[in-house]
Amino acid sequence: MLVPIFSLKLNHKVSPRTVAIGRFDGVHPSLTCGTTAGKVLIHSPHVRAQAQPAGGATSMGDLSDINLLNINQQVVSIATGRLTDGSEKDTLVVGTATNVMAYDVDNNTDIFYRDAPDGANAIVVGRLGSIESPVAIVGGNCSIQGFDQKGEETYWTVTGDNVCSLELVDFNGNGQNELIVGSEDFDIRVFKEDEIMAEMTETEAITALCRMQDSRFGYALANGTVGVYDRSTRYWRIKSKNQAISIHGYDLDSDGVEELITGWSNGKIDARSDRTGEVIFKDNFSQAVAGIVQGDYRMDAGSTVEQLICVSVDGEVRGYNPAPPGLAGNLMDTNLEQDTIRELSQRKQNLMLELKNYEENAKANTQLQTTLSVNPGDNSKPPHVELYISTTNDTVIRAVLIFAEGIFDGESHVVHPSPSALSGTLRVPVVPPKDVPVDLHIKALIGHKGSTQFHVFELTRQLPRFSMYSLITEPGIPEPRSSVTMTLNERPQRLLMWINQSFLLNEDITGELDVDVSFLSLRGSGPLVIRMTQTGQLTIMTDDMDLAGDIIQALAEFLNLEDLLTTADFPVEIETLKQILIKVDEYHRVRQKLTAEMADHSNLIRSMVVRAEDARLMGDMRSMRKGYMELFDLNRDLINGYTIRCNNHQELLSCLKQVNQIIQRAGRLRVGRYKTQVVNACRTAIKNNNTSSLYKIIHTGMA
Amino acid sequence: MDPLFLAYSYFRRRKFKECTDICTTLLEKNPYDQAAWTLKTRALTGQVYVDEVDVDEEGIAEMVMDDNAIANVSRPGTSLRKPGTSGQAGPSPGVRPTSQSGRPLSGFVRPGTQGGRPGTMEQAIRTPRTAHTARPVTSSSGRFVRLGTASMLSTPDGPFINLARLNFSKYAARPNLAKALFEYIFHHENDIRNALELAALATEACQFKDWWWKVQLAKCYYRLGMYRDSEKQLKSALKHQDMVDIFLYLGKVYVRLDQPLTAVEMYKQGLEKFPGETTLLTGIARIHEGLTEMDKAVKFYKDVLHFDNMHVEAIACIATHHFYTDQPEVALKYYRRLLQMGVYNAELFNNLGLCCFYAQQYDMTLTCFERALSLADDQTLADVWFNIGHVALGICDHNLAYQCFRLTLASNNDHAEAYNNLGVLELKRGHVEARLAFQEFLLISERRPAGHRPTLGSVGTRTYEPTKSVAVRFL
Repeated sequence: MLVPIFSLKLNHKVSPRTVAIGRFDGVHPSLTCGTTAGKVLIHSPHVRAQAQPAGGATSMGDLSDINLLNINQQVVSIATGRLTDGSEKDTLVVGTATNVMAYDVDNNTDIFYRDAPDGANAIVVGRLGSIESPVAIVGGNCSIQGFDQKGEETYWTVTGDNVCSLELVDFNGNGQNELIVGSEDFDIRVFKEDEIMAEMTETEAITALCRMQDSRFGYALANGTVGVYDRSTRYWRIKSKNQAISIHGYDLDSDGVEELITGWSNGKIDARSDRTGEVIFKDNFSQAVAGIVQGDYRMDAGSTVEQLICVSVDGEVRGYNPAPPGLAGNLMDTNLEQDTIRELSQRKQNLMLELKNYEENAKANTQLQTTLSVNPGDNSKPPHVELYISTTNDTVIRAVLIFAEGIFDGESHVVHPSPSALSGTLRVPVVPPKDVPVDLHIKALIGHKGSTQFHVFELTRQLPRFSMYSLITEPGIPEPRSSVTMTLNERPQRLLMWINQSFLLNEDITGELDVDVSFLSLRGSGPLVIRMTQTGQLTIMTDDMDLAGDIIQALAEFLNLEDLLTTADFPVEIETLKQILIKVDEYHRVRQKLTAEMADHSNLIRSMVVRAEDARLMGDMRSMRKGYMELFDLNRDLINGYTIRCNNHQELLSCLKQVNQIIQRAGRLRVGRYKTQVVNACRTAIKNNNTSSLYKIIHTGMA
Repeated sequence: MDPLFLAYSYFRRRKFKECTDICTTLLEKNPYDQAAWTLKTRALTGQVYVDEVDVDEEGIAEMVMDDNAIANVSRPGTSLRKPGTSGQAGPSPGVRPTSQSGRPLSGFVRPGTQGGRPGTMEQAIRTPRTAHTARPVTSSSGRFVRLGTASMLSTPDGPFINLARLNFSKYAARPNLAKALFEYIFHHENDIRNALELAALATEACQFKDWWWKVQLAKCYYRLGMYRDSEKQLKSALKHQDMVDIFLYLGKVYVRLDQPLTAVEMYKQGLEKFPGETTLLTGIARIHEGLTEMDKAVKFYKDVLHFDNMHVEAIACIATHHFYTDQPEVALKYYRRLLQMGVYNAELFNNLGLCCFYAQQYDMTLTCFERALSLADDQTLADVWFNIGHVALGICDHNLAYQCFRLTLASNNDHAEAYNNLGVLELKRGHVEARLAFQEFLLISERRPAGHRPTLGSVGTRTYEPTKSVAVRFL
């Protein structure tokens, strides 16, 4: 049984996911948390004891170990790390909705202070790839920026949606860190500098990522899932009704392998083995967990063991030492014998049931058949993919349990017809929200009418990537206005092979010469036409830029293409982009004016407070009253102005997000280095405010 | 002679009034005369022009409701808000008089050197009433507003330019008019919001490539209290052009953000580009002085003198430092140097007198004080009398001392040190009742924090010596 070796109260509220630990003076670790009212709390129990000036004047603030930093904006994210080259000191990086600040706590100096119009949802400090100096990587709305110690932007890239979590992991074991990005579009992307190495699709927004040993990393989703990946394969995952707030890799049982420590929104903390996900330790806080970090917080002489430090939202801190080797495997407060007996009796029970089942369904030579087809829908129901399940004899399907990631709410779907409507066939509508291949794990309960014991059939079907598209055979559909063209060194037959694999077709398409296939999207984004000539000229026509990108990426993977340059013609998107850029300019101008107005008002308010207080001290209650009345009016004006500014800011944010998304889509239309090239060229064009070249880059893929 | 040429001549000889008059007549004849218009704008600005770099008044509101500093409790020696925590260098506050915050008095009067940082709002509001320097309510009121309104009064037909009717984007596109107009709005009208708008439009009109406009934007932001925006503009301006001014402004911004070490770093960066620039060196020295790192401050003041041996501020500060570290002879040399340079005022003679006294050149002492008395105005008179009284105490002439302290109170009835010393004198004479009365006065007038108040018993021999330093004011 493992117990905390220390616990303390910070007496401040701690915002979730804003907890970090750093050695700001290079020696003593300090716990750093974001608190309410735009402040950052630094708890440094060791610094104070040594730096106390002998006999010097001490004021009230010196007595406590807690230092509060005024940020004056809601603190969104916090990170610590060595940002300055050759210095032992850690730098504190604080992200707010509009700014990023790197701050040297020890010297009370700014390292840099930068605008981050895309926000700073997540920050990580460290070395990335072959970039020489350490960078502070900031993830905002669709954009990821890296700043060096001078505040120069040394790294920039875009991603599909708002970034929720970032982590640096040596993904491919080459000794250099790769950046892992979790975003709101349910994707975990791995960037080797500018280039995407891998992409894993999850079922919810990725709220946390943590580095574990070697190339392993843990992740947590907004729906309460946590799990562990090794490179791009998932070891395990579990789902809880609570949300995982913070995850951390830490070797709690001293077996040399890091466990995944998870802090939950209901205050539970558990440690799970990285291989199996089995819980080896748990503890409870009275409030939700705000963050988990590790550091040598006791600073015992001669001991270099780092403790696991857990912080709850009401400021309770607990520290755990790793278990001594003798305690390994027995961290929980349980009785091993009782557990074994319970487990054995459970198994006995199961075997008895199974036996009974076989007695009843002796002639179970039934087979289960499944078919997937595209249903274009009618007035009563929207278009969907239909899963048709049937039995080969007179048995009935009592219930069907389908488990598939990311298709159903809560991941699994149960169909159980009313007892009167039982039959040997069943149709289940499936609507995959995204174009990804999904495994459908189907469990069907099959038995005779009226029987109480059923046989469970388990089978797995794979839903192809582009299942929500139905083939159009009759000619005469309007062609989409937008298209992507490219030249491939492949025969059209290979393309046909790919189409047969990736689309849900009743029978395979065959052909000898040119390929010309049309589909209609069931999601309402219009027709999709794929054409390829004998010379290798491939044209993909669709108005949906995302879809075109998906097709190109999937095709490139199938054909093993390293690089691919395409010409994209999306008149609608370009027109939208034009309008957005004009709007962005307008919002910027309005914002500047509003900001100046507010600063002016707040100066006025300050002077009014002083005047009113002045009147109070002189006992002139009438003018004091007058002063405070005026102050009240002005304050109301100020609040109104603030609301206007807030709205303006929101609009600006959404516009910037759209711009980033368009760049990202334009990047997805290319593969390999051309993709990186497009993203970087677009960034340069936007920085230089060169809109015409931006359109050209999106069109041709080159600056 | 061509009237415009004459106006230019007046302008260059800084006869702004005459210049303005000629331009007014020219503009009456031809309201669209751009040359005359620009010249008049510049002349009106010149009348009230103050170098922004050195004007820095922190109002009560900024001080009390300060939310720009990041750290509430910072490591000693890294913040200007809690001075004296790093004070290993320099004499103890018992020897060297300190300002209200516990920071030693500087040898040179600058905006912001006299008042300290009060602890509470009440203290802040009461303090200006008792001290002789009034602190403005906010930095946007105070001196700036006075400058602005004063110039408006001198034009009876209303303001020369009606800002409300101005089409800023039209002017912003014309660089020759825009710069003059901006300075007029900023300095003469003191309308920061409109100045900011004009600057924003103008910097856009020149494709964000003119460092001058960026500095002006930064000035506006600084005045509005938006220090972070100011910092951004200045850093961006620095990319176009290295200017001493930009480094100085950046230093000011960081001082306001309470990051003295960053400010010093900035000045040092400036010094790499402009080696030996005395304004930058002085900036560093001032910050060290503010952090009570006197040794470092003096080192930088000496560096200043290496490059500019006529630098009044550096000489005065070094002299004060020597005086309070028991080297009155050295201090005397520096003060005499100031005298040679032509500084001729009550404070200097007062300091000379004190130095002479401590260097045992008694013959010169009283002569210096006589000179100081003849030059003193209402503000300094009390201090001079107090110092004479102190000298009298030193030569055991208690009667003279008593008279001098009385005279001190006659010119400033709020002089805490004089009350204190009078109390001690009364005690020596055996008048316990009178001593108690003075103690009462002392308690009323003394606004120092308790830690720095001398206890009556120990003061008998060691009294306060507020040598008011050489006050060379900028304004």
